Amino acid sequence: MSLVFILLIITLILPLLSYLGYFSRVPRLDNAISLANVALALYLYEFIPYAGPFYVDFTTWVFILMVTSIHLLSQVYSKSYFRNQEIWIGENLFNLLLALFTTSMLFSLEINNLGLMWVGIEATTISSALLLMTEKTETSAEATWRYIVIVSAGVTFAFISIILIYYSIGTLQISSILAMKAVPTLTLNVAVAIALIGFGTKVGVFPVHTWLPDAHSEAPSPISAMFSGVLLPTALYVLYRIYEIDPLRDLFVWAGVISVIAASLFLGYQTRYKRMFAYSTMENMNIALVGMAVGGQYGLIGALLLLLSHSFGKAGAFYSSGSILRYTGNKMIDGVRGLWKSMPETSSALLLSSFAVTGTPPFGTFFGEFLIFYSLFTVHYYAQLVLLLFFVMAAFISVNYNITKMVFHGEAEKNGEEEPVMSGLALLSSAIPLLIGIIYVVVTIGAL
Amino acid sequence: MVGIEYITLIETLLQYFFVVGLSPLFAGIFHRAKSIIESKKGPSIFQPYYDLAKLLKKETLKPSGSGIIFIYAPYVAFGIYSLISIIIPVLIPAPIYFTASADFLGGAIMFSLAAFVKVAAAMGSNSNYSALGVSRMLSFNFLSEGTLITVFFAVSLITATNNPYTTNHFLAANPLQNISIVHIFSTLAFFMLFLYETGKLPLESAGLQELGMIDEAANYEYSGKLLAINKWNSYIKQYLLGSVLLNVFLVPWGLSAASPWFLLDIPVMFAKWLLLIGIVLVVETTLAKLRLFRVLDYLATAFTFSILFLIFTEVIV
Amino acid sequence: MSTFVEELLFPLSSLILVTAFYMQGQEFIRPMIRGQLVQSILLAVISVMMGIITGDAASIILAALLVVLRGFLITYFLEKGIMKSQVHLHEKHVSVAYLFLISLIFVLTAVLIVYSVVFSGIRTESITGNQGILVFPLALFFQGLFLIASRRTTYAQIMGYIEEENAIVLFAVFLLPIPLLIEASVFLDVLALVVISSVVVVEKFTHERVVELRG
Repeated sequence: MSLVFILLIITLILPLLSYLGYFSRVPRLDNAISLANVALALYLYEFIPYAGPFYVDFTTWVFILMVTSIHLLSQVYSKSYFRNQEIWIGENLFNLLLALFTTSMLFSLEINNLGLMWVGIEATTISSALLLMTEKTETSAEATWRYIVIVSAGVTFAFISIILIYYSIGTLQISSILAMKAVPTLTLNVAVAIALIGFGTKVGVFPVHTWLPDAHSEAPSPISAMFSGVLLPTALYVLYRIYEIDPLRDLFVWAGVISVIAASLFLGYQTRYKRMFAYSTMENMNIALVGMAVGGQYGLIGALLLLLSHSFGKAGAFYSSGSILRYTGNKMIDGVRGLWKSMPETSSALLLSSFAVTGTPPFGTFFGEFLIFYSLFTVHYYAQLVLLLFFVMAAFISVNYNITKMVFHGEAEKNGEEEPVMSGLALLSSAIPLLIGIIYVVVTIGAL
Repeated sequence: MVGIEYITLIETLLQYFFVVGLSPLFAGIFHRAKSIIESKKGPSIFQPYYDLAKLLKKETLKPSGSGIIFIYAPYVAFGIYSLISIIIPVLIPAPIYFTASADFLGGAIMFSLAAFVKVAAAMGSNSNYSALGVSRMLSFNFLSEGTLITVFFAVSLITATNNPYTTNHFLAANPLQNISIVHIFSTLAFFMLFLYETGKLPLESAGLQELGMIDEAANYEYSGKLLAINKWNSYIKQYLLGSVLLNVFLVPWGLSAASPWFLLDIPVMFAKWLLLIGIVLVVETTLAKLRLFRVLDYLATAFTFSILFLIFTEVIV
Repeated sequence: MSTFVEELLFPLSSLILVTAFYMQGQEFIRPMIRGQLVQSILLAVISVMMGIITGDAASIILAALLVVLRGFLITYFLEKGIMKSQVHLHEKHVSVAYLFLISLIFVLTAVLIVYSVVFSGIRTESITGNQGILVFPLALFFQGLFLIASRRTTYAQIMGYIEEENAIVLFAVFLLPIPLLIEASVFLDVLALVVISSVVVVEKFTHERVVELRG
């Protein structure tokens, strides 16, 4: 048994340990354990690529890093978020589900078997369903139910794809499938197309995205951050692994472009800020889908860069939205005004993160999107490129217009102090994409 | 050759007069059997004939404002049913004179035509009750006629021809085809349709209550001779549909077209009808009447089954 | 023997579809649960028959699992949920004719597209030797989807979900050797149980449009 195998097992166990650490007398032991998991994930870079019972290459590593970091952030944030509020399912169960949710995501990322990956994706649905309902309201119950039904139906559909892959290749082990270089047959084409619809439900591909805004807007903010930042990318990763077997590039690129167009149109008339960020997530996921579909030196790297920066940026966006919601009690964009006076730190985090998720230079997302656009250019997908450019711009305007309205317009009474942990975390998460962008520029210039 | 044509002529005449002459008898047998099951004595099995004779003697009243269609429609419908009765295999399992006039689909369309004539006449009678019944009838017929046509399609798919005689021969020769999915489900659908068209429970369109009245409403303004013909029409229709159900769907065996043996077809048809009457009686005594708006659900079920399995068969084969 | 069994597969599969339509047409919840029970047992019978055809003992185990988990456990959980609510649960305004016709259009379009465009091109054959039998799982799957989409009650939607699972199992039974399947199927059942119990906790009977979740 190799060291890396043991380390990967440990990454799966650590979230559960951090749940147990919550009971210990040592203060903040749970957060420390989660932090250790992030460090472990970073250390895994030494061992990639690895193929055994688990399959980890550079792409996987980026995703593992994302999941562990956002878990840490959300874990810390939820402590403050729920300080003055009762959790309907109980704090204990909440923490357990959070740990299981993280473990199941890590499991689906790391395992070297498409069937078990599918199991992992289903497990994320189970473990996260009740997390959505932490604030027990009529709307959140409805959103949870829609999430369960739509996503389960979609992922069940994806199982047909797994069956067809097994039927035509005879194995589900990712490393051997990739090594085999399967000849694209019609069966495989069908399997990959079905996977686009099936797993696409969880990624937020256009006609099957409908659960996404409901779940994101009704979940408590730390959970919204997990959903948007890492759950959707995990599903995208699984979709990417299936796509690699038989790249139907045209289909995937068009699906991504159309979803971006749809998301950008929906963004135009949103009246609730968390819902707006949900559509922004859909937009970003589909840009990443386009990047992964084009692949190669620019497309894939661009997608990874975009996803990594976006996960932190969107976490920041939801953390600051959570603080605002706690502070003002209003979900509407029009109901929140003059934040820069009443909540200076949170509003700067909100502004930063809104820039981060819409791809403003010099945030990491900008370079990611830029690389993806460039990759489209290299494969001569001009129509798709023009459409993407136009609608990404439109989305940029809608989001930032609304956010600047919330921050700078109007006056607001200062009726309390900001929660320092919450605003600090929001600020931290939204600054990381900036950091990523700068590191990327430095590294690229250094390489030149 | 002359001899064969001679036999065909006899067969044609036999079939025609059998259908037209004896169709009220089967209705009579049914009513008698039903009464016995309900522990009543019941009317004689010849009661439909007595009714017809009585009505034929009575005066015919024509509602004011009713047009020419009202008077002639029963005769036209009688003609149409007469033609159908020598087109489809309801007694003799071999082609006779007039058989070439239409195929299965043509037969189905002629049933629709007769229904249309009846509707037109009822609308011409200027009565509110008739209009009520007609509107009910039409709102249900869009499903029942669709089912009728798809059922015939389903049957013709098996033999790849639209000729009812070929189908009958094929099914009689290949017993295994009788348990193919498409055949089972189209039989079921056609049986449901038969119950609807002849106004049996759980639909009961024959009753005279306004709430559930469907078919009888179209006859509401008729009296005397015209009513007699209308009633006769419905007896013939019941016999025709029932015989198609028996000869093409349920029990395609037992009929013969050879020279002296075709006379045996008469007792065989009686036996088959007794079987059908038995089945219908079981249905009638076990099911309760559906509410009027449920009739649509009932027909939709029949339609769904017929068309679903029709298309699946197309995919599977 | 095995050809006879293969012949029987078609009527049995179509009976599964009949149960699906039965569930689609029901107003009351309890008959729907019974329909689900019958459907699962038919599935188990088909699994046994495939075991006879392929000579694979594992499909007998699968059948046993199907009966125990779907036939018994899920039915028990669902019925228990009804007991709790203490009413003769039913959904109002279920128009059978309308639902059947729409479902017919939906299922047929979906199946014909998927089947004629996609599966007719797959030249390899399934275990039964007749590619056509895959029509039934596909139709069942889309019927399940339609059941979820067309109904407003939690129970009906769960039933649609279970129907989808059944479709997947049926699909795999016709196409694959068994081992992978048992795990997957058991897992699906566990998922269904969790979904059900979480819903019983929620006790949200119907699902209507919500203003806050629009757009």
